[in-house]
Amino acid sequence: MNVRTYLPRLTSVALAGASLLAVSAAEAKEITVWCWDPNFNVAIMKEAGARYTKSHPDITFNIVDFAKADVEQKLQTGLSSGTADALPDIVLIEDYGAQKYLQSFPGAFAPLSGSVDYSGFAPYKVELMTLDGQVYGMPFDSGVTGLYYRKDYLEQAGFKPEDMQGITWDRFIEIGQQVEAKTGKKMMGLDPTDAGLVRIIMQSAGQWYFDKDGKPNITGNAALKASLETINKIMAANIYKPAAGWSDWVGTFTSGDVASVITGVWITGTVKAQPDQSGKWGVAPIPALSIEGATHASNLGGSSWYVLESSAEKAEAIDFLNAVYAKDVDFYQTILTDRGAVGSLLAARGGAAYGEADAFFGGEKVWQNFSDWLAKVPSVNYGVFTNEADTAVTAQLPALTQGTPVDEVLKAIDAEVSAQIQ
Amino acid sequence: MALARRGGIGRYYNVNGWLFVAPALGLIALFMIYPILWSLWMSFQSGRGMMLKFAGFSNIVRLWNDPVFIKALTNTLTYFVVQVPIMILLALILASLLNNPKLVGRGFFRTAIFLPCVTSLVAYSVLFKGMFAHDGIVNATLEAIGIIGEPIPWLTHPFWAKVLVILAITWRWTGYNMIFYLAAMQNIDKSIYEVARIDGVPAWARFTHITIPLLKPVILFTTIISTIGTIQLFDEVYNLTEGKGGPSNATLTLSLYIYNLTFRFMPNFGYAATVSYVIVVLVALLACLQFFAARERDR
Repeated sequence: MNVRTYLPRLTSVALAGASLLAVSAAEAKEITVWCWDPNFNVAIMKEAGARYTKSHPDITFNIVDFAKADVEQKLQTGLSSGTADALPDIVLIEDYGAQKYLQSFPGAFAPLSGSVDYSGFAPYKVELMTLDGQVYGMPFDSGVTGLYYRKDYLEQAGFKPEDMQGITWDRFIEIGQQVEAKTGKKMMGLDPTDAGLVRIIMQSAGQWYFDKDGKPNITGNAALKASLETINKIMAANIYKPAAGWSDWVGTFTSGDVASVITGVWITGTVKAQPDQSGKWGVAPIPALSIEGATHASNLGGSSWYVLESSAEKAEAIDFLNAVYAKDVDFYQTILTDRGAVGSLLAARGGAAYGEADAFFGGEKVWQNFSDWLAKVPSVNYGVFTNEADTAVTAQLPALTQGTPVDEVLKAIDAEVSAQIQ
Repeated sequence: MALARRGGIGRYYNVNGWLFVAPALGLIALFMIYPILWSLWMSFQSGRGMMLKFAGFSNIVRLWNDPVFIKALTNTLTYFVVQVPIMILLALILASLLNNPKLVGRGFFRTAIFLPCVTSLVAYSVLFKGMFAHDGIVNATLEAIGIIGEPIPWLTHPFWAKVLVILAITWRWTGYNMIFYLAAMQNIDKSIYEVARIDGVPAWARFTHITIPLLKPVILFTTIISTIGTIQLFDEVYNLTEGKGGPSNATLTLSLYIYNLTFRFMPNFGYAATVSYVIVVLVALLACLQFFAARERDR
């Protein structure tokens, strides 16, 4: 077992010495970027780099592909070690974690307020990267949500695309039960260790785990309560296929085992990666709760680019992000068509690609829909403890399904969150 | 005394010896002792990321009020109490079966049982995750031979997730312990067994009264090594549950909690260092207890 005995040592040694093992500093005029997802962020950054190199032949790009957890771990280790040699010039950070990094490592990221015109971006994206009046990142993709559904399965169960528009969660569950009765397919995949769906439903009604001041907003949160009740109903109605982890969850719909997917627009590329399912999918707005402030629009994930203050190529990196991500409308058309990336630069929505019909979705103008829904996403304060709250929620889900009243579950979540966020 | 009489030469050898080990000592001091002392200092600080402030004993107070820490501690101790005895016993039984010179193909069996030990921790965890998925090969097989009617929720039910982790680490580490026992058994003088056989001692009594007492130092060694390994359990749980220790923290271990406090949650290096010292204290206590228990039986 001696392999395992190294672990606690690893934890402490990593803090002090891991930077020695990590990649060495970027060479002159090479911009190093860390990001995840080779089919999405990595491919998009390569496209952006190619565009910039055309006009600036002296600048090349080294785009490094890690898993998201690895990017976060390497970044956190590098920042805490205090030596910047191992860090990239530009790093991708998920929006939920932005404030956590900005507040934990002051001075680590370069403020871009003076260089970038932020008035052109979706306001909720700019707000989440603002700290003490300075804006630190380059807003990138949006996680505006949609209900992707299999037209063929729903037709067999007697539902037309119109029947999927503007429905409530209760109606969604009814439809799910009929789909299973008629086709034998479950309505959706659900990973009980992932609170993503809770967050989608909660934000659709304009609430979050935290209030505007960052204080926990759990026991009095009507939207959180309603979303837990909804999850409970979905589980009680047994209209879901259980999934363990991300790849398992993706497998539920790529394999054709489930009739719908509710998640962020960035999943489009994965849905379209199954050419044999072309023409069988449709997209509708997500179901709404029946409480005050409920909408059919929400957000899941989405991320933005940040420049490291310590970067030797800081000026070039900022100029690059500004030239491509803040000004190049044509770039946004390319990444939308190729990768399904809905950017948060508002001007990009006037481009040609947004108005085009997509044959994979049976000729629907899905991009126009997504950008309409993007404008309606309720703005919330993600705070700095979303991961902690998520863990508390998933820890209490089994109690909920075993019949514990929702109010008691909320109290237990509140207790766990309060203990975690000191 | 002999050294003192040799005087100057003795001192010369002494200095020379220290010079030879100095580079190694320097590296150990830099990469082992310094981080250990620094993490001890860190465990008295608290704050967000780099903004650490001295906080006295507040991290230790926080431990008692942290339901997630209590959960991780309970889980870790559950793994230890359930898994270590099962594995040690299994390894002993397998070793004594495979030590039988009359067994045909024992080289093959030894290799087969030891083989899991050379697999990568990450690779086998990922493989287990696939095999024990909702519609994975294990559920499909159990259903096909009629042992279960409904698929077992291996990864999504708190109880079964713990069972799966225990199954996985037992599969991975039993062969490792077995090799120690096999080696030790070959050192037991065969004449002891011969005498016992002539005296008519049955096989089971030979195992409990000769094999086990003579293996005691090795059993103590493997128990302590397994205890340390189980208390520090990380890789399997991280990979089986995508780093979350789910469902509902049912598989969360102390090491995984340290990782989460450092890399997944708002980074609080001070509190994470405190939790790592809990592991240190726990391992030290349990090792002392095991030494004590082993000494008792001598009398």
